[in-house]
Amino acid sequence: MNYFEPKSVDEALSLLAKYGEEAKVIAGGTDVMVDIKYKEEPGCLVNIKKIPGLGAIQENGGNLRVGSLVTIREIETNSIVRERLPVFWEACHQFASLQIRNTATVGGNICRASPSGETLPPLLVLEAKGKLAFADGEKSEPFDSFFQGPGKTTLGYKGLLTEIEIPYPPNGSRGVYLKHAVRGAMDIAMVGVAVLITPDAAKSGLQDVRIGLGAVAPTPIRATKTEAMLRGKPVDAALVKEAAAMAASESSPISDQRSSAENRRWIVEALTRRGLQQSWQAATGKEVA
Amino acid sequence: MSLTINTMINGQSVSGSAEASTSLLEFLRDTLEYKGTKLCCNTGECGACTIIYNGMPINSCVTMAADAIGAEITTIEGLADGDKLHPVQQAFIDTGAVQCGYCTPGYIISVKALLDRTTKPTAEDIEEAVSGNICRCTGYNKIVDAIHLAADRIAGRA
Repeated sequence: MNYFEPKSVDEALSLLAKYGEEAKVIAGGTDVMVDIKYKEEPGCLVNIKKIPGLGAIQENGGNLRVGSLVTIREIETNSIVRERLPVFWEACHQFASLQIRNTATVGGNICRASPSGETLPPLLVLEAKGKLAFADGEKSEPFDSFFQGPGKTTLGYKGLLTEIEIPYPPNGSRGVYLKHAVRGAMDIAMVGVAVLITPDAAKSGLQDVRIGLGAVAPTPIRATKTEAMLRGKPVDAALVKEAAAMAASESSPISDQRSSAENRRWIVEALTRRGLQQSWQAATGKEVA
Repeated sequence: MSLTINTMINGQSVSGSAEASTSLLEFLRDTLEYKGTKLCCNTGECGACTIIYNGMPINSCVTMAADAIGAEITTIEGLADGDKLHPVQQAFIDTGAVQCGYCTPGYIISVKALLDRTTKPTAEDIEEAVSGNICRCTGYNKIVDAIHLAADRIAGRA
């Protein structure tokens, strides 16, 4: 196996261009090292951790910019994230164990493109974007279109995620990230649901609502039909119930060792209902009646 | 492709060679003969291989040996001062927080890292610090007792 520690994004990109499908990018290593041991050694390992400039968290106007090499623990302990992006903070807080959070990078969690990736439903509802570097230039891509399937992204074999840009949610909005797993720590989400709502001025209806679902489709998804159905409607228990059932029907889970597909749909329904209730209460001070 | 790894372990400069695919755990145990750090799940789930890496507890089984270059590492071998055990080690003995003992080095390292951060850990701090360590024998209560005792002794409260 060839091994490289590029010192710049350009150097990394030229290695990816040279080795193509043989190349595997490694940062924290918490997923890739397991693959090397139990699946297959790549022909070429490109360790990007020595590239300077990818490890900062910076405020930039109404956005937070997070370098792809920032660890989950650095996000979890960042006071701006906790205050301005609590939905994202919650996912990082619930992420695996302290040992893993100290090592795993946010870029790795994103590029792994696991349907159950912990940070992904929050990044979808926050409408975050990735800064992608390619040999022929940079582009900014919303995560909505970034994920192509399990382990597949629009980076293909030739791009590198260098930064994520997360806009602060609208004033007055509130959200939650709810994860269902058998064991709290270390367990991969059976289902993850992120909800972000903005009530209207009268606090009787929903001006905006975003629902992100993890581990229930080939990629993390937004429940767009449910969101469209909810938008502009006055909130009551019947509406929340209808939305929860609709979100479950928008999911397309598989059965695996963690859960059956049927059970996953029930959990989507339960977590969507709870997520809407909790977000509504946090945003308006009123329970859903 | 063989790499030369120059690193600092328990305050001493050490050097060895490793493949790029070698984990830090394999490098510690098989090349440098630091056998106190344990191999168990080998997938970053059980915490038996926990070491302190630049001040933070990490799972050495899913870390590249190459990442040890220029790093400062503490393993279980680095805790005792001659014959005098570290307060965390002594507290695990005194409270009976050990049965088979296989998970113990990982626990002790996680707890040392916690008590380096704070000597007044809350119940939540303790849960966070050791929720990445699995023990199949003790039922965890005695481990929590040991953590409280070690914290009290380090802070001079006991």
